[in-house]
Amino acid sequence: MTKSFINRFLCAAVALAALVGTSALLHALFPPTIPGGVAAKLKFFTEHKDEFDTLFVGTSCIYYSVSPENFDRTTREAGLPTHSFNFGIDAMHPPENFYVLEQILKTKPRNLKWVFLETANIETKLHQVLGTERAVYWHDWPRTKLAVQKALNPRGDAKWYIRISRLWVARRALASHLTLFLQRFASIGRVDFLSSRNHEGIDAADLELGPKRDGYRLAGDAMSAENAALFQKRLAREIAEARPKPLDPYADEAYRNFGKRIRAIGAAPLLVVPPLIFQSPVIFRHSPPPGPLLSFNDAGKYPTLFDSKVRIDDAHLTNEGAQEFTRLLAQEFLRRARQP
Amino acid sequence: MLFVEFRFFWFFLAVFAVYWSLRKNDSRKIWLLICSYIFYAAWNWKFLFLLMASSVLDYVVGMMMTRSKTRGARRAWLLVSLCGNLGTLAFFKYFNFFISSGAGLLEWLGLPASVHTLNIILPVGVSFYTFHSMSYTIDVYRGKMRAVSSLLDVACFIGFFPQMVAGPIVRASLFLPQLRSLRKFSEVDVRSALVLFLTGFIKKACVADAVAPFVDRYFAAPENFTAASAWVGVLFYAIQVYCDFSGYTDMAIACARLLGYELPVNFRFPYFARNISDLWKRWHISLSSWLRDYLYIPLGGNRGPRWFMYRNIMITMLLGGLWHGAAWTFLIWGGLHGVALVVHREWLWRTEQRPGAQSIMRWLAWPLTIYWFCLALLVFRSVDLPRAVPALRSFILFQSSGTEDLGAWMLWLVPVLAIVHWLNSIGWFSQWWRRGPAPLFAAGYGCAAAMVLLFVPPHYTPFIYFQF
Repeated sequence: MTKSFINRFLCAAVALAALVGTSALLHALFPPTIPGGVAAKLKFFTEHKDEFDTLFVGTSCIYYSVSPENFDRTTREAGLPTHSFNFGIDAMHPPENFYVLEQILKTKPRNLKWVFLETANIETKLHQVLGTERAVYWHDWPRTKLAVQKALNPRGDAKWYIRISRLWVARRALASHLTLFLQRFASIGRVDFLSSRNHEGIDAADLELGPKRDGYRLAGDAMSAENAALFQKRLAREIAEARPKPLDPYADEAYRNFGKRIRAIGAAPLLVVPPLIFQSPVIFRHSPPPGPLLSFNDAGKYPTLFDSKVRIDDAHLTNEGAQEFTRLLAQEFLRRARQP
Repeated sequence: MLFVEFRFFWFFLAVFAVYWSLRKNDSRKIWLLICSYIFYAAWNWKFLFLLMASSVLDYVVGMMMTRSKTRGARRAWLLVSLCGNLGTLAFFKYFNFFISSGAGLLEWLGLPASVHTLNIILPVGVSFYTFHSMSYTIDVYRGKMRAVSSLLDVACFIGFFPQMVAGPIVRASLFLPQLRSLRKFSEVDVRSALVLFLTGFIKKACVADAVAPFVDRYFAAPENFTAASAWVGVLFYAIQVYCDFSGYTDMAIACARLLGYELPVNFRFPYFARNISDLWKRWHISLSSWLRDYLYIPLGGNRGPRWFMYRNIMITMLLGGLWHGAAWTFLIWGGLHGVALVVHREWLWRTEQRPGAQSIMRWLAWPLTIYWFCLALLVFRSVDLPRAVPALRSFILFQSSGTEDLGAWMLWLVPVLAIVHWLNSIGWFSQWWRRGPAPLFAAGYGCAAAMVLLFVPPHYTPFIYFQF
């Protein structure tokens, strides 16, 4: 190696070190921008954190299906009053939900007793419609690592050569998640000197909190008769093919980890599987699970939730369906809470 | 793949590392060609065949022109190249425009015609690479350069990824000689290339992309906005189009320079032009000089009577407008610039003996030039002619029934950028980064890059000139 080559290499290393160092400094000075909808709920929760003792965290399946008002009424009538808040966010799948949960726990809510966590596998696919900002903010290293691990080794038992071959198969997911991690770390777009993005956020905030400002929003109308027939067909197939499906090892570990952290602040985690069309029971890989598992994706046990009249689609319920699901969830919660 | 994307960074790193590790010139050119085609295929691999076909066509035409003994045969081969390249452009870019415009004309004449337009996708960079290849065959025909015997060289020249999709429009006589000799890394001005890349990146990602949402909002429905918003929209578009295009060019020149090749300058502080003729010597120089050398001069240029020269100017500018795309807005944009150039020439001719008038004009020329340029840009950016009308009314007459406000307070950006632009034009930024040892430059560059990223909008906006 020539001296000039070494010099150039060293200069490149110095430039890289300066870039990383300055980025780290700027990252500390300018924290990531949390996108409108999530920020609205987080801000509201932070301001009222000690008022709530029950929290629902999950995707739109929680957001549009769990009415805190109804839940609190049911628990109050049963003699175990709660004051709950719905922290459901559209398409907030794992690992994004873990990032948001971490932000919630960082606020140190003193009176939180119950945290309902929607339970699902790590999602490696990104939803383009949500926009870049929504994809960037949660890509810190722990969450990026979960997504990358899942993409490279979905079941957690692949040999090293399979993992290498998955580098090609999962190249798009890997590139996306790593790029988003870099975008977040490099504080890209953290300063918006023309405030071109803020206007959208303000409108989103009020909408996101819902009319009762409890985080719950009404969903749409029931599916059409034509779609209902197709739904019933798909449901019958799902029931026929249902078999227990263990969570992926990364989600399993993450839920256990967060279960411990929730307990550490004096609350109890409850894991919820909403009434999705997928009928395979979700199970944790090892017993016991990190908290009581409340599974509602069982058309046999909860037929009222799978009537096409109360469903918008495979995952979402109408307002009527949401009220019924909330009631069943509250009853299940009461049953568990009263157990010694 | 955009120059401002992360994936381009990894792509270029691989290109750069492998390129300089290869010892033979041919190996490097093969590598460059492969990478250029990968770069192009990242957009749409199907159109790669069009690019390859264009390269093969012009290589064959060049060779055949060399072998041809008569001028007629050479002319016939040139015609083949022109038909091939202009035919490609005509089909992909203008087919639907001419069909629908023709139908519109027939309908206007009371002869309604049933026409079918095709769902044609415009291959990215087609206007640029066809002009690259035509410059080669025309120069060979004119005897300005010898035909190249290596298909690899011709393919590399036409497909060279930094300049393939949005210029600068490189002349074969400038680029092909560079391909013949082995480039030496020790001769590469790495610092200037890195600074130029960062400058281009700032222009594109931090400025052009930051103002783009406001420009898009205004031009989507100009009738809804106040007259003040029209000024914001138009001035922001003037900023956007300059920063976007010159930013792209800076990055293209920088990437080429890092690989040992020099590309021509495309912008020379156009907004400080003293008059419209001067502006066209500073704006998109590679296109304006291409049009001058391959269209205006062959049409007769400045020779002959004055009206003849004015006709040539108008034809050149109208075709220059049409080069940008198949729309009446582009044609009118070209026409407006043609008119301005003609008026300027006429003014110079008429006031030649009147120094008083010329000295008054010296003060008025710059604001008039910028105003006319912005006015033409307004038409250029408008989605269609009906939507250009309310925007023009707002911009010229300050009349608008719209109530939406784009935020005139944002115009603070204009003087700030003007000052930076002026400092740059007087060479304030041109040399100081050369001083100091290399590690200090490297550390400073790393810090500067990190700070620049802070101002980059999280979503990428495609380069404006990609659509042309």
